[in-house]
Amino acid sequence: MSLVDLMSMAKPNLKSRAKVFSKLKGRDLVNCFQCIKCTSGCTALKLLELKPHEVEKLANLGFVDELVASDILWTCVTCLKCIQRCPQKASPYHVIMALRNLAVEREVKIPEAFMKAVSQVLETGMAEAYQKIAKGTETFDRESLKLPRIGSPREGFQALFLKALEEK
Amino acid sequence: MKTAVFWGCRILTSQYAYEMSVREVMPKLGVELADLPEALCCGDPVKSVNDFAATYLSARVMALAHALDAGQLLVPCNRCHFTISEAKRSIEGDKKVSEKVSGMLAEEKLEYNPNMRLWHVIDFLHGFVGLEKVKKAVKPWKGLRLASHVGCQIIRYSDLGRVDNAENPTKLDELIGAVGAETVDYAEKLDCCGAHLLLSHVDTAFSLAGAKLRSLRELGVDGLVVSCPDCGLMYDFKQKDAAATVGVKLEIPVVYYTQLLGLALGIDQEKLGLHLNQSPVDRLLMKISV
Ligand code: SF4
Ligand code: SF4
Repeated sequence: MSLVDLMSMAKPNLKSRAKVFSKLKGRDLVNCFQCIKCTSGCTALKLLELKPHEVEKLANLGFVDELVASDILWTCVTCLKCIQRCPQKASPYHVIMALRNLAVEREVKIPEAFMKAVSQVLETGMAEAYQKIAKGTETFDRESLKLPRIGSPREGFQALFLKALEEK
Repeated sequence: MKTAVFWGCRILTSQYAYEMSVREVMPKLGVELADLPEALCCGDPVKSVNDFAATYLSARVMALAHALDAGQLLVPCNRCHFTISEAKRSIEGDKKVSEKVSGMLAEEKLEYNPNMRLWHVIDFLHGFVGLEKVKKAVKPWKGLRLASHVGCQIIRYSDLGRVDNAENPTKLDELIGAVGAETVDYAEKLDCCGAHLLLSHVDTAFSLAGAKLRSLRELGVDGLVVSCPDCGLMYDFKQKDAAATVGVKLEIPVVYYTQLLGLALGIDQEKLGLHLNQSPVDRLLMKISV
């Protein structure tokens, strides 16, 4: 018998839970004792209402599918305060990142900028495009600043990066 | 030992002042930097999409540094430094990841070297070049009052082995002290610049940056010193957006530490990219020249 969320009748998904657990880089979600230290220092708490201890609890209980579908995952600023301060070697940050990966895998709607960065890396090797900097009436770029030209990625990089993206 | 440098995307595509000042300052302190041969990404934004692909990108950066015969890698961006550090941990701690990564690198005849030493500009100057050497090389000023912002990802999380203490980082302040400036302590010192939220919640990103700048305004400091291209982007380039979002007027000079150090080493302002900063750095420069 496992838990059922009586508000939504959602049932835990233990397979998804195991998947999240396998991606925590040595951290252990099971240890979380809900002290709320992570949430009390979370950068995204005040403005975006991210409560990392809740994410921990829900993931721990197996309500992973609900989390994966939630926008709240994309409010984390990646400041790493939660993982730094957790007394139990749990890591909301890593749970959130694992859930983000799962959202992508399931083709849940995610903020566009992330996929744009990935395709930019694929095309140019870098996640960002060159910008011209305006100051007063002048504009500057790498060339006018006499900064070295950056070479394109070698042939073969694209195929390898695509292959890496297929790893689940 | 040869030192390679990996700039990351943000420095190479917009934070030119950081790049220029690092390129100017290092040779003056006896360090030659070798550039990696091609456009690369550490994998940071990819991490949210696919952790393995991000790890692969970081490994490729390290492997290209190794191919240059470098024994250490300077990474001036906080975010890149963290992403590469985590990749290192995944590769060295997880045999499956390590085998997959090595196999993929081998397809380009590249190799992962676990002994590659990572540095950020802050610990590189403080530890490798040495605080004392920096002190001896500069002509210090007097009477400057600055705030430091060290950023998040080079100090957290400690288990990973970071550049400075997570709750009480002092290296950047000591380096600022080395050029003769006093640093203030302030409650928001460890607060995040918010740059990552430019990918999903732009207004909140500016609110976070603005909140910190607003407190600094009240402290009346002569400027803010940063050492990460994300933080530079938020506090310097986007200061006007941040001000508009939090509804106050902000005129805080924001400089990279290497720009400040360059000035103290007697390097021309223009060579340090000080004409590129978008915040009112003139105020700070005026204070320095009197
Ligand atoms: S994740 Fe850590 S800090 Fe957060 S509630 Fe659980 S034990 Fe406490
Ligand atoms: S890393 Fe994310 S969840 Fe953790 S404290 Fe920072 S914003 Fe909150």
